[in-house]
Amino acid sequence: MLDDRSLSAAATRSPDEYRDCHDRRDASATPDGMWLLRSGRFSLLVDRRQLFGALLLAVLLVGASLAYLCFGEKPLSPGKIWAVFNGQGAMLDTFVVEQLRLPRLLAALASGAAFGLSGCLMQTLARNRLATPGIIGIDNGATAFAVASVVGMGLSLAPSAMALTGAATAAALTFGLAAGGGAKGGAKGYRFIVAGIGVGAIFAAVTQLILSRAAIDAANAAYPWTVGSLNSRPAGAVVVLAIGLALLTPVALWLSRSLSLMRFSDAVALGLGTPLRRRRLQVLVVSVALTALAVSVAGPVGMVGLLGPEIARHLCGNRQVPLIGAALAGAAVMVLADLAGRLMLAPLELPVGIVTAVVGGPWLLWILIRR
Amino acid sequence: MLSFQALLGLGNEEARFVVWDLRLPRTLVGLVVGVALGVSGTLLQSITRNPLAEPGLLGVSAGAAFAVALMLLLGGSLLELRIGVAQLGALFGCLCVLGVSRIRGLGADPVRLVLAGAAFSGLLGAMTSLILITDRRAADEIRFWVVGSLSGRRLDDLLAVLPSMALAALVLVMVVRPLASLALGERASAGLGHHPGRLRLLAILIVALLVGGATAIAGPIAFVGLVVPFIARAIAGPELRRTLWLCLPLGPLLVLTADVISRRLVAPSEMPLGVLTALCGAPVLISVVRARRLPSL
Repeated sequence: MLDDRSLSAAATRSPDEYRDCHDRRDASATPDGMWLLRSGRFSLLVDRRQLFGALLLAVLLVGASLAYLCFGEKPLSPGKIWAVFNGQGAMLDTFVVEQLRLPRLLAALASGAAFGLSGCLMQTLARNRLATPGIIGIDNGATAFAVASVVGMGLSLAPSAMALTGAATAAALTFGLAAGGGAKGGAKGYRFIVAGIGVGAIFAAVTQLILSRAAIDAANAAYPWTVGSLNSRPAGAVVVLAIGLALLTPVALWLSRSLSLMRFSDAVALGLGTPLRRRRLQVLVVSVALTALAVSVAGPVGMVGLLGPEIARHLCGNRQVPLIGAALAGAAVMVLADLAGRLMLAPLELPVGIVTAVVGGPWLLWILIRR
Repeated sequence: MLSFQALLGLGNEEARFVVWDLRLPRTLVGLVVGVALGVSGTLLQSITRNPLAEPGLLGVSAGAAFAVALMLLLGGSLLELRIGVAQLGALFGCLCVLGVSRIRGLGADPVRLVLAGAAFSGLLGAMTSLILITDRRAADEIRFWVVGSLSGRRLDDLLAVLPSMALAALVLVMVVRPLASLALGERASAGLGHHPGRLRLLAILIVALLVGGATAIAGPIAFVGLVVPFIARAIAGPELRRTLWLCLPLGPLLVLTADVISRRLVAPSEMPLGVLTALCGAPVLISVVRARRLPSL
């Protein structure tokens, strides 16, 4: 693990020593726990732990998805699901899988991955494990605007676009308010988060206000929006989320190199050639956009943005920012939580936001107390 | 004018009904709730020495609401038990908050304590909705209560909660002078012949009685306990007793204004009272956090 001291040690080496280090390009120069893949001019360092962690999470995710398709009010065996995918299933099975469970599974996968990824980005940006979009109010901002578009209010814009606007507004408010305060030093991170909680409270109140202005029926339909549920997702939003995820994941991966450096102090990151301001803005934009698109599908299930990166960090290690792991873990958490919500009290259905809040709340407290 | 006539028993039938049966109980409930929340916010801030400590933010109200939901789930009926159970829940919430604030300097950092409180009340809120979804009967009974509002409250509710509130007021009057000395620090307080630990426990008891009672009649309402002491302290300065006196008019003022606005803004339907208190409370929270140096108590 790099830190300021080892870097300054590196800086005091003589040029000869430096060239020595640089010239030893054989396999023994590969850092511990890494594999060096090289073909011709291109080479890639693969962190073994991260690779295995991601593979483990991928296997878990496939298992969870299969379970998601199998279990429910009408249990289906994996064989039947295979038959459905081959086009040989019974009518009812095909209907259950293709019309009911598969679209919902895809929505859970996409929104969970987006929440996990954006949580990981935001945590790295703020250098604080607790600074996930859900906690600093971005979820609530997106929700308020999305609810405004769902309920009507004379606005005919799509929920995704409105959620993007809301998330951007909330992010601008939180960051603007926190940056304006002159507080420096260790407490700054926490002040930033509490400012975010305040912004979140305002937008949650705005959501309530919009809901109570709407007719009772519309307000009942909009209830899932206040807790987060996959039951009433707007039709187009999932497609928009999928497109957004496909576009933004490569951007996030491209940013991951700078992200690793951004975990150090500003001086170190700048000294190693990171254009810090520009990168911060890029990370922020990607994170906010992912959050907004996920919220427009699933509502404010912000806990996934905390749980996904936490799990990924445990499994993949901390050498690099575990973006892929966070996305996979977020998707797995979302799928499992929604599955649990569907099964636990069947025929009643628990919104996924409540399941993740009950699971994630103690974890959040634990992080806070242990620090 | 019409309402004055009705209040005096004059005027027509309809006006008398509206004033006596609908608006008067509501106003009285608002008065009591405002006083209780404002005073308990001031007390909580003074014993944790934290300008952000607030019953709603720290999970005390959420504890009371969760306790009531749990009681309904276990088969209790609403009216008789609600107040005592809510107060027990509030006590539990208080003790959790103070317990947490003792762990590893979490209490020394006001901002982190609020974060822990937000996490705690989020968890309790999620568990309350879990119960509401599970139990349809409970949901029907308290759906309108759990969002925090003054609508449809009757005088009976108020009368049921008054004894415990009066008890809290009595205890508060007895310990307010030693409590004020606690602001000088534990040592100074002990040197003056008081027992800081015992005082704190008594103050927690008062907060639990007040917040539990207020939550039992009006539901969980956040941010009143933050805004009222904030304004009161700005006017009265750091002295605890003067702040408490100012809370008496300011608490009801805030709650009743918020209630009138929430009644008129979306008429003919209503919106939860917590919406407006959050809209005016969150900016206060942000401005306190933004201050260069957190004002210490």
